[in-house]
Amino acid sequence: MSWITISRITKLGLTNFWRNRWLSLASTLVMTLTLLIITLFVVMTMVISKTTTMIKSKIDVAVYFKDSATTQEISDLQQIIAARPDVKEVRYISKEEALRVWNERQKNQRIKELIKPEENPLPRSLAIKATNPEDLKNIADFLAQNQYSPIVHKISYEDNKQIIDKLLAITSFVKKMGWIFSITFVIISILVILNTIRLTIFTRKEEIEIMRLVGASDRFIKVPFIVEGILYGFLACIVATIALWIVIGLATPLTNRYLGSIVTENMHHFFISKFLLIFLMQFIVGILVGIGCSLFSIRRYLKV
Amino acid sequence: MIEIVGVSKIYSDTIKALDNVNLKIEKGEFVSIVGQSGAGKSTLVKLLICEEKPTSGKILIAGRNIVQLKLSELPYFRRKVGVVFQDFKLLPQKTVLENVAFALEVCDALPEEIKDKVPRILDLVGMLKCKDKYPDELSGGEKQRISIARALVHSPKILIADEATGNLDPINAWEIIELLDRINRRGTIVILATHNKAIVDRLKRRVVLIKNGTILSDKVRGGYVI
Ligand SMILES: Nc1ncnc2c1ncn2[C@@H]1O[C@H](COP(=O)(O)OP(=O)(O)OP(=O)(O)O)[C@@H](O)[C@H]1O
Ligand SMILES: [Mg+2]
Repeated sequence: MSWITISRITKLGLTNFWRNRWLSLASTLVMTLTLLIITLFVVMTMVISKTTTMIKSKIDVAVYFKDSATTQEISDLQQIIAARPDVKEVRYISKEEALRVWNERQKNQRIKELIKPEENPLPRSLAIKATNPEDLKNIADFLAQNQYSPIVHKISYEDNKQIIDKLLAITSFVKKMGWIFSITFVIISILVILNTIRLTIFTRKEEIEIMRLVGASDRFIKVPFIVEGILYGFLACIVATIALWIVIGLATPLTNRYLGSIVTENMHHFFISKFLLIFLMQFIVGILVGIGCSLFSIRRYLKV
Repeated sequence: MIEIVGVSKIYSDTIKALDNVNLKIEKGEFVSIVGQSGAGKSTLVKLLICEEKPTSGKILIAGRNIVQLKLSELPYFRRKVGVVFQDFKLLPQKTVLENVAFALEVCDALPEEIKDKVPRILDLVGMLKCKDKYPDELSGGEKQRISIARALVHSPKILIADEATGNLDPINAWEIIELLDRINRRGTIVILATHNKAIVDRLKRRVVLIKNGTILSDKVRGGYVI
């Protein structure tokens, strides 16, 4: 195909789009909404599952020791725990290290100064990583035995588990809703675009017939409608991307409040690093729907 | 050049538009197909440009059976044939010039070719002065000329005109016939379907008379062939 033909065909497609601009607008908007919904659900699922694995890998049981416990008692317990098959790793955290971590975490200088190295109230602890998150309970139960109560000050693992359970529940919910909404909206947008293109084809039925009778090739007839379809996909993709940034901006305080700053940070990071991928996905979905609808609608007009 | 062999066209069980038609048209001929309304003239034209397929029989054009043309070959075949449709089939939202240029654009013609050919062909049919008008602003005879111009613009080997003098007054009709005659003298086969027997008789060229889908007579300048 020559450049002349390509430019002629593209012009025809653009003219079609413009002639039915209100319908075209409706098609574009529906497509935009669809792309937005698909993207949001894909991104949400990915961000949440990434956060889950991140927290999962961090998850551990921490045993804090009373200051009265001797170093010998602690290292004995450490060996016993390290020998367990369900334990992946045990790390001893001294008072000094605990203080260092404390200082790193606190940004407020006044709070930092509350604890002085000479007078360190932070307990020594063992950080235990389980092979499977499910084993955490057994390990915690083992540590909770009476025989260790003289030296153990506190065992903590519950907090993280709750977060994980919450995230897992959200993930599966989001996935389910994602599928339902995405499919519904894909169907709606296909129907709307199909009808828009059908209408354009219908208003140009005469022209198509004449084109055929004076010897236009299938391509010449088909491509303008495909161009129109692509245009819907392309515009929708751009609008959706812009809308996405707005949605994320609006969603940030909400995710911060309900899912924690890790999720929010993951989300932002995800959007920035995967921007091109997201755009490409929207572009491909949009254009495929557009082209599919065009080809489907024009099919029966090409048989003469 | 064109050979129609045993062609029948049945639209539905009751309507037999063409019944075993045999016709041979040579290079450079001017053939008028005459018959009453409903005789099957338009059907024959539609078969010749593959708008419809015959129920049975062969249509050979330049040795090729066009009945068996693939869908993808059709456009290239149609570019070799110019058709003037009974209902003109001009695009109302395009000007005269655009309507004619359209037929070239569709065939991947270059812009220079379009710029060069379209005014010349409009001049040939005497419509250059109307080039910026819309079809709605034209009279029947003028539309007819535009339709002829469009059919001719890609220099087809065969020009098929269905009812080219349809609802024109005798003077206009005769002008169109003269135009077709001139085109024929430049080497194009012209096939003219019409119910106006008087006008083709005056032309003194080959006349094929059809009735109820069969050929009644095939007359070359007065002498019967069949
Ligand atoms: N698409 C169709 N479906 C069914 N019957 C048709 C169709 N086209 C034509 N016919 C029938 O076939 C017969 C021949 O029609 P055709 O159009 O060939 O006549 P014609 O000679 O061109 O008439 P006219 O001079 O009025 O144009 C008519 O009886 C007509 O009703
Ligand atoms: Mg007719």
